[in-house]
Formats: sequence, C-alpha cells, structure tokens
Amino acid sequence: MRNVERLCLAHFWVAFAAFVVAAVLGTWQMWVRSPLGANVGTPGQYFMSVTAHGVSMAYVLTTFFIMGFGYFVAVTALNRPLPGKAWAWAAFWIALLGVVVTVIPIATGQGSVLFTFYPPLTASAWFYIGLVLVVVGSWIWCVLMIVAMAAWKRDNPGRPVPLAMFATVANAVMWLWTTIGVAVELLFQVIPAALGLVQTIDVGLARTLFSWTLHAIVYFWLIPAYIAFYTMVPRAAGGRLYSDTMGRLTFILFLIYSLPVGMHHLLMDPEHGNATKFIQVLLTAFVSVPTLLTIFTITASLEIAGRLRGGRGLFGWIAALPWDRPMVLATGLGFVMLGFGGFGGLINMGYGMNAMVHNTAWVTAHFHLIFGGSVVIMYFAIAYDIWPRLTGREYASLAPLRLQLWLWFLGMMIMTLPWHWVGLQGQWRRVANFNYADPIIAGWGPWVIVSLAGGAILLISAILFAANLLMLHRNRALALPRPLYALAVHPPQRVPAALNGFGLWNVLVLVLMLAAYGYPIAQFLIEPSPTAIVHRVR
Amino acid sequence: MSDDTRHSEPNVLDQSWRTWSAVAVVGIMLSGILLGALIIPIVQGRGAGLDAYTAICRALGIIPGSPAQPQPSDRTPPTPVSQVIWTPDVLQILARADVRRGHEKVQEVCVSCHGETGVSIAPDFPHLAGQSGAAIYKQLYDYRTGSRSHPQMTDIAKALDESVIADVAAYYAGQPQRNPNPVTLAEAPAAIVQLVELGDPKRNIPPCAACHRAGSGGPIETPVLAEQRQEYIVLQLKLYASGERRNDVYARMRTIAAKLTPAEIDGLAAYYRAGFR
Repeated sequence: MRNVERLCLAHFWVAFAAFVVAAVLGTWQMWVRSPLGANVGTPGQYFMSVTAHGVSMAYVLTTFFIMGFGYFVAVTALNRPLPGKAWAWAAFWIALLGVVVTVIPIATGQGSVLFTFYPPLTASAWFYIGLVLVVVGSWIWCVLMIVAMAAWKRDNPGRPVPLAMFATVANAVMWLWTTIGVAVELLFQVIPAALGLVQTIDVGLARTLFSWTLHAIVYFWLIPAYIAFYTMVPRAAGGRLYSDTMGRLTFILFLIYSLPVGMHHLLMDPEHGNATKFIQVLLTAFVSVPTLLTIFTITASLEIAGRLRGGRGLFGWIAALPWDRPMVLATGLGFVMLGFGGFGGLINMGYGMNAMVHNTAWVTAHFHLIFGGSVVIMYFAIAYDIWPRLTGREYASLAPLRLQLWLWFLGMMIMTLPWHWVGLQGQWRRVANFNYADPIIAGWGPWVIVSLAGGAILLISAILFAANLLMLHRNRALALPRPLYALAVHPPQRVPAALNGFGLWNVLVLVLMLAAYGYPIAQFLIEPSPTAIVHRVR
Repeated sequence: MSDDTRHSEPNVLDQSWRTWSAVAVVGIMLSGILLGALIIPIVQGRGAGLDAYTAICRALGIIPGSPAQPQPSDRTPPTPVSQVIWTPDVLQILARADVRRGHEKVQEVCVSCHGETGVSIAPDFPHLAGQSGAAIYKQLYDYRTGSRSHPQMTDIAKALDESVIADVAAYYAGQPQRNPNPVTLAEAPAAIVQLVELGDPKRNIPPCAACHRAGSGGPIETPVLAEQRQEYIVLQLKLYASGERRNDVYARMRTIAAKLTPAEIDGLAAYYRAGFR
C-alpha cells in the first residue's frame, strides 16, 4: 500500500480543495440571488461564479474523488499492488493540468458558460481543452481499473471479484461509454467553434451528444456512494451485507440504464420525435430499479446489524444501530435526502410534469439535493472511514465528524426544500438576480432567504469537513488496522460469469445505445438542420 | 469442496443468465419501441385527424410535427423589423470583406461626415472608428431596405451593393478606438453606473452592459458604444423611445428606451461617451 496512500491523498486533496472553494462561491451566489444581496455583484460576476462553482463541484470534486477512491479500492479490495502506478500519477498530473488550464479562462471571464456545454454559446477554447485533459486523465484511470480487475481474475480463476472492485470497474466501464458523447461534441463541434475554425454550429446535434453524457455522468458521481452503501455501511453498522448478488445486479443495471436515457433532458427540445423521447423516458423508469434494490438491500443489512445489537420489534432495530459512527449516520441522513431527491427525480422524468418544472429552480434544487446531499455526504463518510488508513492516525473524537454530517444534512434540507418550492411557483433558473419589487416575485423573497441560511450552514459544514481531515494529519494517536469491507450474509463462493464481468453487458449497452441514439444522431447527418451562429464569450 | 471444483465455472448457469438477461433488456426496449413508435402515435394521430403513416413518421421525427396535433398554420407570416438575417452566407461576405476597397469607398463617399478614420465631423454624426463590422453592415443594409431611414443615409446606402457595404464596414471596424479619458471616467454618477451594470429590475430594465460592453455581450449586431458621440446616443435613444426608429430586433431598444427618463438618457450617453471602466 506504500505510495498508494500518497496517490490517493493527492487525488482527495485536489477534490476537497475544489470543494471548499466551490462551497464559498455557492454561498455567495445564494446571497446574490436573495433579496438581501440585491445589487451585489454584476451578472457577469454571477455567471463567472456559477461556472467556477459548477466546474469545481461537478468535474473536479467528483472526478478526482472517484479516481482516488478507485485506486484505494483496487489495492485494498483486491489486496495486491496497483498495476501501472506510474500511469496513475501521469493521469493525476494530466487531470490537474487540465484543471489549471480550465480555471484560467474562467477567472478572466472567458469561460462564463456554466458547466454545461450548450452551444451556440462558447467559451475560450482553453476552457474546453482543460476539461478534455481532465477526462483524458480519468480515461487512464478507467483502463487501470479494468487492467487491475483482469489481472486479479487471471490469478484467481473462477473466484468472484470482490464487490467493491466489481462496482468500481462497472463505473469505469460506464464512464468510458459516457464520455463518448461529450468527447465527440467537444472535439468535433465546440472546440473548432471556440477556436474560430467554424462560424456556425449544429445546436441540435450538440445538445443530443451532450445528453448522451448528461445522465450517465450523474451516475458516475453517484456510484462511489453506492459502493459505500454495499461494501462499507453493513460493516460499519456491525452487520453483514444482505445480498452480494443484489449488489452486482445493481451496478450492472446502472451500467445498462444510465446510458440510453439522456434524452429526458431534451424533452422540451424540438429536434427529436416523440417516439424517441418516449422510449428513453421508459428506459429512464428502469434507472429507479437499482436504487430501489439498494434501498431494500441496505435497509435489510442495517436491520441485520440492528438485531445483532439487540434491537427488537418492528422498528426497535433502528434505534439499536450505532448512529454515533459517521458511516452509519451519513447513510441514514443520505437515505432521507435520497428519498426526497428521488421523488423529485420521478417528477422530472414525466413529460407533462417536466414541461412545468423544466426551466425553473426546481431542477437546480433537485440536483443539489440528490448530488450535493445524498452523494456528497457519502463522499464525506468514505473520506472519514479511509482517512485513518491513509494517514495511519486515529481521530481524537468522532463528535466533530458527526456535527459536520448533521450540519450538511440540515443545511442541504433547509437550502433545497424552499428552493424546490419557489421552483414550483415559477422561479426561473440560470438568471443572476430577481426583481423582488414585482408583486409576484416578492412572495419568493422569504423562501430564498431561508435557502440562503441553508447555504450558510453548508459553508460552515464544508469548512469543518476540511478541518476534520486536516486535524487528523496532525493527530498523535495511531490507527489500528481494521477491516474495511463488509462480508455478505452468504459470501459468494462462485457467481455466474455474467455477474463477474462486463462482456455481456457491454454488448447489451451497445444494442440499447444503437436503438436509443442511432437514428436520433443519424438524422443530423441524413438531413442537416439549420445551424446557429457561434456566440463566443469574450 | 476442493479448490479445483469450486473454480470450475458453472456453464449451464451462465447460459441461462446470458439468455434471460438479454431477453429482458431487449424485450423492454422492444416494448418501448412498440408503444412509443407505433401504438401511441396511431391512437394520438386518430384524435388529431392524421393517418397512421403520418402519425408514425411524426413520432419518429422523420417528418416534422407532433402526432398528437395538426400542424399549425403558417399563413400569417410575421413582418420583420429588419431584413438582415445572419446566415452563414452573410457571415462569409463579412469575413471576405476587402479593407482596401472599403478605404477607397470611404474616401469617395463617407469621409465628408464620418471622417477618413471614423472620427465624425459633427455631434449629430456617429463615430465609426473601431465600431463592430456587423453593426455597421446591419445599419447600412437597413437603410438600403428602408428598415431605418435618414435624409442622407437612405440614398447613400441604396447606391451601395452588399459587398461594398461589407468592405466599408470592415474598413471602419479596423480603425483604432481612441483612449477613454480617465478624468471623465471618474465622473459618472452612481445611479448611472448601476443602470449600466445592474439595470433596474424594478422597472424591468436590463443592464446596458449585458449587451454593450467590451467584447461581445449581446447579439452579433450590437454596436460598440464606448466613446460614441454623446449627442448621437441621446438622439437615438429618443428616436427609439418615440418609436420613430424601429429597426431593433424584438423591439429591444424601443422597450428599454421608452422607460428611461431624459436625465438617465443624458447620463447614459455621457457614460458611454467616456468609454468603459
């Protein structure tokens, strides 16, 4: 494990540094949007800030965290050295260079296009080139994960791959599929336009290619949280995983149904027929299946733990769970946020309801709750769980950790629930300020101020999180070795090859993608649509 | 159980996994296609008075329109305020403009009012030095088609053909702007600066700087206002406010100018005369 600690810590600290900066920006944005911050900052500054916030949270925090966590899992779950460590470091530096190259145009006001790649608005080419470098770094990580699992399988024929590694590779395979869409959009459309090589751009094609990436990228961010649910939470709670097979099925279903569904982000777009949208929405419904499987399996695992600890009756096992442990606490809080966020997501998915909430703050609130809430709180829990292993030191007290998790939960609920509400009342998104003197808009004011209070709590929590980890580096107490991963109730002795690899599932993904995206993309080549004039942010 | 027997993969079990998972995934997909591409459009199309073939083609996106609604009529064409359309062809004409020919035409025609380098001779005539080429092109073209009118400019523009307009626009666009005067920059009142940078949400006035700023902010035809003649800006805002000038797409400037007070019009014109901060 030597040196791999440094590799993991380097990734995690880049991720968390970006996270803290983005948390400061996010709180500032909530202030500017509220009646209290009227006339603070120009729209130009606001959109610059939103771009930096989105890029940091969605691309830097996630990608670096997932890469670092993947290396950690590959070494600890497979219990063997990481193959290609030099490549891993190269990937780190490439991705970090990408971050620097992206930040410069944002800071100079040449990248204020938010974190979505929707032409004809285009940023400086460096903004996109930097992000391509981040993705290239993550591709190297994907290959290393696949190679690590293949090497383990070669040396352990017929044995089931440990679930944590199986899930990590599922994520790597999914990410390779996912990034094809945005890579094609950037390399063949957006970057040539940003460089001035072309003056017009096919907006419909660009949006379609981005939708290819848009939903699956969220599951790329989400899967580490699910890895923690299946492989770390049952152990932390003092129980066992209810079903290893359920875990494998869940990650396979994520791989299959995250990809051919992105067009539910284009329900209001004119460039696709109703049938295409219908098919992708139907497949979107199946994305909820792995989440429902997970809620069932993890609740069952926690019940096993609660009953082992002496909990009785229908709900007594819940009280008996060790809620003082950060991983268990984060799971409980994360499930509550996942519940609210999940139901919100089902509303976004329905065509008629989507039409009502599509361009409102509802959508922004939804992804903050489900990603910033249930996913990021599990990032915290994972970091807290593995930091003693990475640093060799032990926490003096778990109280600041619990406080931080509670603050994050409360802050996120206080921020996002009123945010959903004003979205339902029609508050639009992607605007810098509101005219609270307008009698219709004035009613939103109090709700937005409550959201701002939630944002302030989140900022305190974010700083406390970084402080908790930093303090551990200086702590005297040495960590005792302890098991990381949960055992299943019935540890798998052998599993069908289909549940131990991805060959079959890759074929099925290809079939689904051809059916879901084949004609919708081909139509742009068969009969090119009118193109739009590139609008460059300078 | 010995290690060897445990390691042998159960092929029979594998085969059924492969078969049934493929059947399930493909079956779900096919039922989606059956519902979304056949059954729903046929049923919806019946309600909208469409035959099954048209409805299915519409659902698939092969022909435009929704299978659930008859195509809306387009018998009442809109009357555009400007004939300029930024097609790739027009952009090509602008990109291929010849600055030398533009210079010759300027010396022949424009120089008497707008000056050889784009510095105008009188307050009523706008400076053109460093103006956006697309903005000059749009205004000349609008004069030519009658979207905008002026006692002198209308006749002059009608005598120029499209490529010459582009040449002149490119020539003036290439002339350097003068430096803003730091003394006047300091003088802008806070209320005017706020109007430029934040607008006035209470009156639904967007910030001027959302479009008129260093570099491009608004649509391609947005003119550069920095260091423009104060009197000229005042006149144009008043013409927009009264509706006398009406070649602004979506009536953007007519809507905004009508809400400005005379003092604000003067203040904004003075602000932009001085340049940018």
